[in-house]
Parts: sequence; C-alpha cells; structure tokens
Amino acid sequence: MLRLVLRGFLQRKLRVGLTAVAVALGVALMAGTYILTDTINNSFGAIFQTASKGHDVVVTPKQTLGNEVLSQTSPIDEAMLAKVRATPGVAQASGSIFTPGTFLDTRGKRLTTGGAPAFIASTVPPRFESFKPVKGRFPRSSSELAIDEATAKRANLHLGQQMIVAGSAATGRYTIVGITKFGGGESFGGAGAALLVPAEAQRLLGEPGHFDQIDVAASPGITAQQLRARIRLELPSNVDVRTGAQQAKKNTSDLESNLSFLRTFLLVFAYVALVVGAFIIFNTFSITVAQRTREFGLLRTLGGSRVQLMRSVLYEGLMLGVLGAVLGLFAGIGVASALNQLFKSFGADLPNNGTVLQSRTIVVSLLVGIGVTVLAGLPPALRAMRVPPLAAMREGVQIPRRPLPTRKALIVRFVLGVLAVGILIAVGASGAGIALVIVLVLRAARLVVRLRRGEERPARRYRVVPALGHAIGSLVRWRGITGRLAEENSIREPGRTMVTAAALTVGLALVAFVAVLAAGTKATINQAVTRSFAGNLIIENSQSGNNEQGIPAAVAQRLRAVPGIASVTPIAFTVGRAKGSSNNSSITAIDPATFSSVYRIEWKQGSNATLGLLGDTGAVATKGYASSHHLRLGSTITLLTPTDRHTTVKIVGIASDNARLLGDLTISRSLAKSAFGQREDALDFVTYARGASNAQVQPAVDRLLAAAFPQARSRTATQFKADQAGQINTLLTLIYVLLALSVIVSLFGIVNTLILSIYERTRELGMMRAIGTSRRQIRQMIRYESVITALIGGVLGLVIGVVGAVLVTSLTLSDSGFVQAIPVGTLAVLLVVAALAGVIAAQLPARRAARLDMLRAISGE
Amino acid sequence: MPYAMSQADRRPAEVPLVSSRVAAGTEPRVSGGLVSSWELRRRYGEGEAAVDALDGITVTFPARRFAAIMGPSGSGKSTLMHILAGLDQPTSGTVTLDGVEITQLGDRELTELRRDHVGFIFQTFNLLPVLDAEENILLPLSIAGRRVDRDWFDTLVQTVGIADRLSHRPAELSGGQQQRVAVARALISRPSVVFADEPSGNLDSKSTDHVLGLLRQAVDEFEQTVVMVTHDAHAASFADRLLVLADGRIVHDGEAVSTEQTLDLMKALG
Ligand SMILES: Nc1ncnc2c1ncn2[C@@H]1O[C@H](COP(=O)(O)OP(=O)(O)OP(=O)(O)O)[C@@H](O)[C@H]1O
Ligand SMILES: [Mg+2]
Repeated sequence: MLRLVLRGFLQRKLRVGLTAVAVALGVALMAGTYILTDTINNSFGAIFQTASKGHDVVVTPKQTLGNEVLSQTSPIDEAMLAKVRATPGVAQASGSIFTPGTFLDTRGKRLTTGGAPAFIASTVPPRFESFKPVKGRFPRSSSELAIDEATAKRANLHLGQQMIVAGSAATGRYTIVGITKFGGGESFGGAGAALLVPAEAQRLLGEPGHFDQIDVAASPGITAQQLRARIRLELPSNVDVRTGAQQAKKNTSDLESNLSFLRTFLLVFAYVALVVGAFIIFNTFSITVAQRTREFGLLRTLGGSRVQLMRSVLYEGLMLGVLGAVLGLFAGIGVASALNQLFKSFGADLPNNGTVLQSRTIVVSLLVGIGVTVLAGLPPALRAMRVPPLAAMREGVQIPRRPLPTRKALIVRFVLGVLAVGILIAVGASGAGIALVIVLVLRAARLVVRLRRGEERPARRYRVVPALGHAIGSLVRWRGITGRLAEENSIREPGRTMVTAAALTVGLALVAFVAVLAAGTKATINQAVTRSFAGNLIIENSQSGNNEQGIPAAVAQRLRAVPGIASVTPIAFTVGRAKGSSNNSSITAIDPATFSSVYRIEWKQGSNATLGLLGDTGAVATKGYASSHHLRLGSTITLLTPTDRHTTVKIVGIASDNARLLGDLTISRSLAKSAFGQREDALDFVTYARGASNAQVQPAVDRLLAAAFPQARSRTATQFKADQAGQINTLLTLIYVLLALSVIVSLFGIVNTLILSIYERTRELGMMRAIGTSRRQIRQMIRYESVITALIGGVLGLVIGVVGAVLVTSLTLSDSGFVQAIPVGTLAVLLVVAALAGVIAAQLPARRAARLDMLRAISGE
Repeated sequence: MPYAMSQADRRPAEVPLVSSRVAAGTEPRVSGGLVSSWELRRRYGEGEAAVDALDGITVTFPARRFAAIMGPSGSGKSTLMHILAGLDQPTSGTVTLDGVEITQLGDRELTELRRDHVGFIFQTFNLLPVLDAEENILLPLSIAGRRVDRDWFDTLVQTVGIADRLSHRPAELSGGQQQRVAVARALISRPSVVFADEPSGNLDSKSTDHVLGLLRQAVDEFEQTVVMVTHDAHAASFADRLLVLADGRIVHDGEAVSTEQTLDLMKALG
C-alpha cells in the first residue's frame, strides 16, 4: 500500500510540491521564530556570561517594580560602596555605571540610528572589565572616551576624533582614545557602548556619587556564596545582592521573558499561516478524492476494504506532512535570518552569535507540520471510505453524504471533544480550547435540532459564493466569452471555491482588521492631541518611540529663557504599585502650576484648581482606574515606588483623558522626585508668548537644544501627530510583512485548485481549443477565474476584517474615546492586491491549460 | 521524394493566409469548401514500435458533399480527420483547406482557421456544461468576437428543433438534444467544412436519424460540406460518398449505398 502511495506521489510531483509548500511555509515561520529567539537568547546568555566574569558578588538596586523602570535615582552610593569594601572577605569592590545615553558627532548629528540602543559605561578595575581595547586604551581623564568597535565602524570614528555623549542630565564632549570590543567577541547587535571614567559617567547621569552596580571580588578562601551572605547582612533592603552567576542567570531570564513576547508575537503569524495551509491541504485532498471516486470504486469492487481506502489517503497526508515539515524546518533556518534582517530594517538590531537549532525546535516543527497535514487530510480520507463500489461502473456517482450519527457515535464524539478541550487547555492553548468549545456547542445544537425533526441531512446549499462570483464576474464579463466562462467556472464547485477563497480570506481579514485598528488609533491620537494639547511645542527625546529615554530635567529651565516662550511645563512618567496589586500603576508627574494652561483635562470631579491641591500628598486618578480601585475623592492609596519606598497619596480629583497622557494617577513632579526617584522628564510642553511666531521660536529652541541638549528635539503638534502615525505605520508594516506569508500560502492554494480543476476539465478545454479558442483566450479565462476566486476571498476577508475590527473596538474601546476610522484607501489597495494575487496564482495553471495536448484531451485520454 | 521538398516553396503565392483574410473581415463563403490531402502519413512512435496510423492518404472532399469514412478500429479514421481539421500535424504530406495549405500554418493561424472555417461534432463531451444551449451554439462566434446573425441563428435553432430548450444547460438536455445543439454550434459560423467523429456513437436509433438527417440537411439546404467518421453503416447511408480505411490506407472510395450494402461491403473488405 505504501509503495502505491509513493508511486502516486511521484506521478503528481507538481501537486505534491505545491501542497507541501503550503505546509512548509507555516512550519518555516514557526521554526524560524524558535531559531531566532533561541539564537538571540543564547547570544545574550554569552554576553551576560562575559559581563559577569570576575564578579563574585554583584550589588544592584532592587527592581521592585520590574526592570522596565529606568531613570530613577540609584540607592547605591559611596557610603554603600565603603560598607562593601569594609566587609571581611572582599578583595576588591568598585562602583560602575551602565545606562542608556545618546551618541552624537561634533556637529550634533546622532550616531546611533533607528531603535539601536546606546549605553554609557564607566570604566572598572581590570578584573571586572568585560571590554577589551582593540586600538588605543581605556579613558583616564574626564575628557577621554573609548567607543565600541561596531559603532566606530558604523559612524567612521577614529582615534583622536571627538564625539559627544549625552546622558540623562548632562552632555560632554570627548576625545576618542580607544576602540573597544566586548570580551568574548560577541556581537552586541546594534547596541553601542561608550566608556567613560566613573566620575564623568556620573556627571552625565546627574548622579554624582551614585552607581548602578557594585562589582565585588572575593578574597582567596571565601566562596562567592559566603561573601554574598555577608554583604547581604551589611546592606539595606533596597538593593539586591547576588553572586556573579546568579546575576548572569537573572539577566538571562529577564531577557527570556522579554523575548517570549516576541516569540509569541511571531508564532501567532506562524499559526495563521498553518491554518491557511490546513485549508489548502483539506481542499486539495477533497478534490483529489472526488476525482479518484472511480478509482476508489474499482478498488472496492476488487475487494479493497473501506479502511484500506482511508488509509491510503491518510498515508498520503502523512507523507505530505513529513515532506512539508522537513522542508519547513530547513527553510526555517533561512527564515530566522530573514526575520533578523526584517527587525534590523525596523531598527531592532539584535545580537546574533551563531544559529541555535534546539531539538525542541525540530520536534515541535515536525509534530505541528505533520499533525496539521494529517488532520486536514482526515475528513477527505473519511469521505474516500464512503465511496461505493458502484462508482467504478458509472460516471458521476456521488459519494453519499454521511448519515446522521448514531447515539453511540455521539457519545464517543462528546468524550473526544471534552478530551480535546482538556488537552488544549492543559497545554496552555486555552484560546483554542475555548474556540473549540464554541464550535462543539454550535454543532451539537444543530445536531439536536436535526435529530428532533428527524431530518435527513440536506444537501449543502451555497449562497455567498455564487452571489459573490456573479457580482465579481460582472467585472470581467465585458471581456466576452472568456470572462463569462471564468465567472461560471469559478462558481461551478462552490464548496471548492469557498475553501480556496477562505484561505485568502483568513490572511486578508487579519490585514483588514489591523488596518482598521491602526487607522482608528491614529485618528484617536490626532483627535486627542488636537483637543487636549493647547501648547505650541513638545520637547522629547529625539529617539522617537523609545520611551526609555527622556530628557534632562534642566531642559525646561533653560527653555524658559528663550525669547517668545511664555511657559514651559515638564511632564515625567513613572510607575508605582498599589498595595495588594501585582500590576504596576502608571503615574504621570506634572507641574501643577503650569500644566492646566497647556493641557485640557476632562474633569469628572474637580477642576483645574484641583491641581493646586496635589502638593506632595495628592493625586488625580483617571476614571477607569478610580472605579477599578474603588477610589473616591478623599480616599487614600499607598504606593510602592521604584526606589522601594512606600508613599501614600490622597485622591483630590478624578479625570478622564482620551489622549492618555495622564496615567492611572497624576502626581506633582516634586513628589515624583522625592518619593519615586524620578530624575528625568519625558516631555516638555512649551507655550509661546502672545504674538510670538513659530517661525521664530522653534528655530531658537532647536538651537538651544542642539547646543546644550543634543538628545532632545522639538515637535509641533502636527509633527508630533505625524511621528505617532509613523510609529503606528512601522508596526503596521511589520505586521503586514508577517501576514503576507499567509497570503502567499493561500496563493499556493489557488494554484493547486486551479490545476486540479483544469485537470478535470481537460476535455472541455480540448474541445474549446478544437473549435478555435486561442491559447491566449484559454490563459485569459483561467486568469479571470483565478482573479474571481481571489476577489471572493478578498471581499469576504475585508468585510470580516472591517466588521470585526469595528465590533471589537466599539465593544471594548468606545468608553475610552476610540475614534472609528475606515482606511478606505488601504482597503482598496488590499482588493487590488487580492486581484493581483489571483493573476500571479494563475500564471502556472494558465500556461498548463493553454499547452494542453488537444488531441489527447478530445480523444478522452 | 516530392514531399521532401521544402513545402513553403510549393505553397501557391496567391493563396492568402487565413489570418490575413480574417483581418480583412470578409465573411468566409460556404461555396469555397474543399478539403484535399496529398500523400498524408502519420507515424506514432519510433523504430521497432512505430505505428503508421496513416500510410499515404491522398483524398479530396469536394464542396457541398457529405462524405462518410468507415473502417475497423485503429484504421486511422480519427487521425485522418484530426489532420484534415488542423488539429494534428502529419509526419509528411500536405492538407489544403479552402485553398490554404494548412500543414504550413502555425498554432495561431491554425486556431483561427478552425475557429472560422471548420465546424466540429464529437462523440461525447461536446458542450460546455456551464453554458446554456444558446450560449453553447454561439460559442464559436463568442470566441471569435463576431456579431451574431440572428436570422441564421433562428433558422438553425428551428431546424435542429431545440428552440424551446435554448435556456437549458447541457445537464438538462437529453443526449440527442445535446448532439443537436452541437450540430447547430458546428454550423453557426458557416464553416467551410464540418467534421464529425462518430456523431451518433452515443445515440439511440431515433436520435441518430434525427442528427444524421440534420447533417444531410446542412449539405442539401445550407450548402455545407460534411466529413463524418462512423462505425455505423446506417449512419453512413445518409452520406453521398463512402470511404473505407484499413491500416492507414484507403481501401474503398465510392458512392454511398444502403445500410445493407454497406454492411456487405465492410464484410467483404474484412
Ligand atoms: N497518440 C497516439 N500515440 C500512439 N499511437 C496512436 C496515437 N493515436 C493513435 N494511435 C494509433 O494510430 C492508429 C490509428 O488510430 P485512430 O485513433 O486514428 O483509429 P480510429 O480508426 O479512429 O479507431 P477507432 O475506430 O477505434 O476510433 C491506431 O493504431 C492507434 O493505436
Ligand atoms: Mg476514432
């Protein structure tokens, strides 16, 4: 039997190939995702390993609120360092700094581009140093700097040149005295590092006497564990004390949790592609089973059993699955590097030191690829089982429809369903489990209705496909007979067309969904900024989209002196954690005196005067937060701050804010500074004096920023909106690229269906050629048919996507002022893309149809 | 060997290519119908296994005549018809259709020739299942993008007797009705010649009479030229002329005779 299947495989190379690719693409994205994330993970692991070399014990600020909080004053100071040094068993201890910064050339142009991070690092004693100079030396004075090799190469920096480094508080100009390389030679991805002497690094940070970390080396005879325990006893609870190994492990696992988001994000697209692939396999198998009805009938008359027939189809599915999964796995290696390139082009350059192919990747890819194929091939295989022997004798015998299930079968199915749901939920795919429950309930309901009425199973009736087919067909009907025939042929087998089109529908529905969501988000931001922002300029870090980097607090002060500026109100973002909660609450810190003149707050309770009550103990809550945390005017809430302190604030007002500038809680900047350790601002809102024009003031602001705060830039409201839209578009493009894979998979489905349909219509095509249809006309006819099928899928996809997005947003986001927007242009483009997809998919089948051997076709070979 | 000569040399210079005539827009006239072949050979396979399906066939089909070709299975009837109709190329020899040496033409010109000058009736699978009877009849004109001569269409539909079935699809028609639609389709473009390969092969005797009667009528009333391949002596008796093929050669060429005489003749030829 297996040999028979194999032979059939070789005879149908093209179809097997096309179908296998449909599986392989999804598997490739899945394998690629695992390979990429494992590789990144591994690379960082190696980097952290190197970084902790020589460190027996490491002291770091306690990150009570998670590692997302930066820009806070470190609790580690000289006094603490002295305490560590005084601890018996410490051979050497030194403070170090490693913090985000901005690199610029002497003309103020940024040296790091896109989202690639740049870090300011302080030099440390040799035993702790993980950088090595490849040229020159480490800095010795406060005017010297060593830069990493990758940045030097990218920005064409040489020894003796000067460059500018901006920290969160200050900026300095340095002579490059060394080019360095990270210890193990690992690539840092796109990240850059500038080494400064400690005092200088502290000055840039605005934290003289403070460190990000204390590195400790143990004296001979004492283990890292023992020393850690001793130091722990000496230091307050707002710092963590770990051994070097523990620290490396912690860094790696922190990263792992960040990466797992990326992994899940990418896997979603892989699963979408696999679902689309499953459609195609199902369709291909259904068609071939229908085409082989006679052959199966013959086998049955010759004594083949039902089970044998089913098995032969299943074997084919199995082999196809193996082929597709293996192809996909290998392609995954390519996909991993393509994904890496993709992220790089979107500004996320991740370290990549050698491809990691874990056995988990292999196992999961093969299992999923084969599983999807076999499952999708199962219904057609079961259908093959029902072919009656009679089919061999007569032309056009239909495979009988499945009879209504017996009670026993129903019970078995119920148990299987419950098991499947259990397994899905157990392995954590609860979403899929819930979806399955819904499907099962719906099917059960239908079955009950039917059993009640004692009805026969009615023939399936298709309404949507023929209606759409005719509607779209009218677009090509003017082309005469080829258009007319294409229209009719496309809806000849509505079920087949439906499934073929559905593959495209899945991809396009998601694209449309995302497009509508993005358009709405942009519209919402636009509206919110227009309504709420009453100022003239917004000052922000020039690395737009990077929320981690703010602007020095000194910017606001200096701006106030610029002629034409009436007021400047700084805004900072931080977090706190309400007692008993495991989530962080977002906190916006404002200047109570000036904020309300630039920003329109929609008060629910309170007024602009309420801001005056903030002081060091008051807070304004946003409406949603207040209701979920049961806060009323006068209630108090105790927050754990990033500096590991508790502070209690009283609610003085409740506001709603569609622009989402205000976090869950809004406090004064002075409280943020004292209790939350906030040292940077995120934004400055600038208002011009009466009569001042933007043409005069903005250039003056830009001059000041370029000279004193090169990491900051000014944006008008219009520019700001455009920036936001740009960020959304970037994400949108990334999602489009990833969804494109699913669309490509569905293309293969169209190709496959067309080829199989053409095979079925060999005689018709032969007859048409015989009576004078030109090859061009045949090609045209197939192309139109393909376009109609694709457009059926496209129209359905767009409708589902748009309706879905509108429903979801109006159900979940209408309270928060989400503005609905339908991106008509994008949707029109999508339709064109669908039609183009049809044209592309038709290329091969059309050529085959036109080349068809006329004589064999009409003599019925 | 005469046919080893360059065939292009032998094409009469004044015979225009089909395509140029189509381009000029002149309606092909029925009266010009004339098909002839000269020393046609068609070989399948190579070496030991080679089969000469046609082994030197020289024959002429005059206009406005109805010829029947008979012969045992495998004698080359279909092969001959396919080559005469420009569906297949001979290994050697030439075919002239309506004054054009079609063995010289490329695929595009052959396609146009079949479209405008040849009508076909096959044994089965004659109609497109997605089109109704009217659309099927008009198919050759639709393909050519030509206007429909409504009078001619009405005449044909009346003649073949499917006027009340025009909006039916093939699946809703009987075999005989389908074949009558096919006859109408073959005639709608007023071709120079109509080829029919076992047109009654799948029909009962009543339908056979009807369809063959129509072909007869096409020759007598519409001045068509018909070449038909058949196994059925009764069908052959509708023709003017009877050709018998055996092993790729013409073994008999004469007036068509009655069914019984045809049967006797066939028996005599073995
Ligand atoms: N494509 C082909 N390849 C090889 N041999 C072929 C091919 N087509 C026809 N033949 C051979 O050519 C010969 C003539 O075939 P043809 O189909 O013309 O016979 P026929 O007279 O139409 O027979 P029938 O009455 O059975 O239709 C036969 O021996 C056949 O086997
Ligand atoms: Mg034949």
